[in-house]
Amino acid sequence: MKHFYPYFIVSLLVILSIIACSDDNQKKDDDYEPIPPTSPVVLDLSQVPYQKLSDYKLFEGDMKNQDPSLGVLPYEPISQLFTDYAHKKRFVWMPENAKATYNGDGKILNFPTGTVLVKTFYYDNVLPSNTTRVLETRLLIKKADGWIFGEYVWNDEQTEATLLTTGEYIDLEWMEGNVQKSTTYRIPSNTECFTCHKSGLDIIPIGTKPQNLNSTYTFDDGAKNQLAKWVEMGYLDSNYPTDITTVVNWKDEGLDIGLRVRSYLDINCAHCHQEGSYCDYRPMRFAFSESADPANLGICITPDQDLGNGLTQIVFPGRPLRSVLDFRINSTDEATRMPLLGRTLVHEEAATMINQWITALEGCD
Amino acid sequence: MKEKLLLFLVFLTNLVVYGQNTCDTALPVQAGITVIDAINGSQAPSPFCVTGGTVATAGEWYVYSPIGNHTVTVTTDLNINIGDDPRVHIYKGDCTNLVCVAGDDDSGTLGNPDALCVVTFDALAGNDYFIAFDNKWDASGITFKLIENEYIPQPVAIVSFTQQTVGLTGSYRDCVVDMNGDYLDDIVSVSNGQVQMLLQTETGSFQSVTRPTPTTNFLPSWSIAAGDINKDGYNDLVYGNGQGVAFMRQNSTQTGFELMTSPEYVFSQRTNFIDIDNDGNLDAFVCHDVAPNVRYINDGTGNLIFAQGGMGDYPSGGNYGSIFVDYDNDGDMDLFIAKCGSGPIDELHQNNGDGTFTDVSIAAGMAEPSQSWSSAWADYDNDGDMDAMIGASSNTSGGHKLRLNNGDGTFTDVTAGSGLDVFLSTNIENVAHDFDNDGFVDLFMGGNTIMINNGNMTFTPNPVNTSVGSIGDLNNDGFLDVQYNNNIFLNTGNDNNWLKVHLEGVDSNRNGIGARIELYGTWGKQIREVRSGDGFRHMSSLNTHFGIGTAETITKLVVKWPSGIVDEILNPNINESILVVESSTLGVASTKNNAFILYPNPASEVLNIQNNSFEIEAAMIYDITGRKVVSTKNNVQSLDVHALSAGTYVVILRDTDGKTHTQKFIKK
Repeated sequence: MKHFYPYFIVSLLVILSIIACSDDNQKKDDDYEPIPPTSPVVLDLSQVPYQKLSDYKLFEGDMKNQDPSLGVLPYEPISQLFTDYAHKKRFVWMPENAKATYNGDGKILNFPTGTVLVKTFYYDNVLPSNTTRVLETRLLIKKADGWIFGEYVWNDEQTEATLLTTGEYIDLEWMEGNVQKSTTYRIPSNTECFTCHKSGLDIIPIGTKPQNLNSTYTFDDGAKNQLAKWVEMGYLDSNYPTDITTVVNWKDEGLDIGLRVRSYLDINCAHCHQEGSYCDYRPMRFAFSESADPANLGICITPDQDLGNGLTQIVFPGRPLRSVLDFRINSTDEATRMPLLGRTLVHEEAATMINQWITALEGCD
Repeated sequence: MKEKLLLFLVFLTNLVVYGQNTCDTALPVQAGITVIDAINGSQAPSPFCVTGGTVATAGEWYVYSPIGNHTVTVTTDLNINIGDDPRVHIYKGDCTNLVCVAGDDDSGTLGNPDALCVVTFDALAGNDYFIAFDNKWDASGITFKLIENEYIPQPVAIVSFTQQTVGLTGSYRDCVVDMNGDYLDDIVSVSNGQVQMLLQTETGSFQSVTRPTPTTNFLPSWSIAAGDINKDGYNDLVYGNGQGVAFMRQNSTQTGFELMTSPEYVFSQRTNFIDIDNDGNLDAFVCHDVAPNVRYINDGTGNLIFAQGGMGDYPSGGNYGSIFVDYDNDGDMDLFIAKCGSGPIDELHQNNGDGTFTDVSIAAGMAEPSQSWSSAWADYDNDGDMDAMIGASSNTSGGHKLRLNNGDGTFTDVTAGSGLDVFLSTNIENVAHDFDNDGFVDLFMGGNTIMINNGNMTFTPNPVNTSVGSIGDLNNDGFLDVQYNNNIFLNTGNDNNWLKVHLEGVDSNRNGIGARIELYGTWGKQIREVRSGDGFRHMSSLNTHFGIGTAETITKLVVKWPSGIVDEILNPNINESILVVESSTLGVASTKNNAFILYPNPASEVLNIQNNSFEIEAAMIYDITGRKVVSTKNNVQSLDVHALSAGTYVVILRDTDGKTHTQKFIKK
């Protein structure tokens, strides 16, 4: 932390000078500066994960509305993980006087002890009555010796979510646009969480990398770059580069399809296909920082596993039917689908994009 | 306009004259170059003479009628075709009965990826050979060259299979095992709410029956295994799912299945049935990918009790391929776990004989990173102990590993020069069976290849037309067949002889899983073990298969049961299946059973049972080779033996507690 003191000292001087310049003639009562309201969030690291989500006081009012308490800041990665069309709200909270530091464009921010990352999964237009239903809220809490999971399942009344470690299923039907969809939604066990949130033996976050957050988000008080907002909140040291290599929103059809595909694969696949991860023995390297190399995307690479059906390349330029990537992203069989966890349905829009991308690729030479 | 009309007429003429759109209108071709403008003929080639994608919608047909005998090559591996992706099928016969001669998808070497097809086949004068291209991958035009080489007959594959489609309706089609108690291998497919069984009949056909099951979230997406957990003579199933484990217990009336699940999260990989605590009741073991492996202990009263720990506790992940094998020849089944992931080391766990295991990986020399999803264990050199092939699923930690059992609890690396060192296809499925019945166990591995055991710890690749699937004898001809997805691949066979052994455990588990079977003859000794769950995903037959090459006799068959009981059968017939019932070949004295008396003995018409100590649930008579000759149920007081031929027989009485009681008698 010590190299951030200069910034702190400068800030202090600014504040002192403001105070010094205030009108000395005013009555003493008018000099009263209200104590800045403090975040109501309750986090005793020796007691977490709490039994109930409400114990953290992360939200104001009716908890199902997910209105963040003071100090609980919403954020959104530029491209997002697909989990059977679930909608998500994400928040970050840190204790007072603690902030994250930059560690690389494509690396998880270096978070301080006491950080809480919050991700709530919900669906709109849930049948039979087209209602919104909140299913689960996942917490990642950074203790002094590393991250822990807190998995909370919402009750049917939508008033509370309780800690669950073993996993559970929820049958769900909803309208996705004009299409009725259904799934047996999986609430993951802690062990399943670790399959993706894994680096060696350590639990890690996935999405909170500068490459994913370097974008404008509309906050309650206006639109702002997310990283800048984190700095404003005191959640990020401002000492980060201005030229961050940033992913794109894969949904933006106006952008280069190669960048869109790489951005999609980064957030959906790279957590298992990079060094030290669950599936690092396969040749793909899907992290955005690595996927500029065609071989890391599996282009013209023979797969290790014989899937039959003429699937002789991970990505066969021009021929999606012969590409393992296309096959797996279109599969719903647990043993062949990819991503392995977090989806039971085909992500149709992404599958279409990947099909188009492979079709347009030309040979390997 | 005139030009266009002319072009149109030319086009029409082409269609009429060169109407190679169907087999019936196949265009005659000779040696030389032929140009196809597009693959759009109405008849798609069928049957498929190549493995891989099996749906095509269009074809182009040519017929080649050699004047003399030639070895013919049809190649598209020409510079003009680079970037195209044709597929070719070669047939003989006629258009109403096309028989595959050869086929190819990607054997060419030009282009990257190389996707052009080349096929070579023997063409004999006086026959028609149909050359058909399909549009599976590419409907654009292609140029092919037909080359007439000097006639040098193509080498005949040591093992080959004939493909047949079967009507499997379930989503999960990974299980070949007897389901109705007749020891003929059936095919099982599973969907949520039902189990479909293709029951093999005595006449070599299949009868499809579908039985309801309760629904479950734990479908067998990762693996399936079978065994008789309640000793009723009908196999039950375990489903290995990514989030848990389900058991489907077949009811004794064979009308349905009862579901048993345990709520624990399990990322199942290989599932096995095995009597872990050797109490005579079959337990289950499940590899857990991301946590310590789990087991389900059968308490003998219908409960399977979850337990975790002590059989591979996860450092650090990737428990993929469990297989139970008695590597130290001490009569109990040890556990090898092929592992894969970010750094894990394979594990060998020695059975302590009391239901606990000790990790001996390092002492045995088996603690290696292999990136393997399955290992294949057999006595590859027929020296009386089980050797190992750990199949690489990725070459990042070296390739396949062949390990010779030294007979002292350690293994020696014999990969170099074995043929496995230069066999580079990787796969998650690796199984050991004798596919050519020559008395040496072969390896079925990746790249649609059976590695034929040359008998000296070296192996030769033998390409086949299927990936590794479920293995069993699907036409009861003594040669092992393969079921993969909706197809069965029937072994073409050869003149070698064989024996199949069917077990009925009594004190041991019903299937005799864990039994060591020895077969003696001019070859010396061959050994097998009864295993439920080998390879990675599939369930293969519980019947034990031996090839014996050209030998005409078998000296002795020995079954060493998990209970410790040993049955011996002298001079069993070759080319038959033999049923061995546990204890059935024992002398009366050795059973030390005075619980009942048979009289008169010898008997000629009726054998009476004097019994005051237990209630008889079933009575069976076996001949001295272990064949069941009489079977009757309920409170039996006498047995009709008049039809039996003279000789020595064994009577087994099963009481209502499931215990068995044995006596010999002589038929006059």
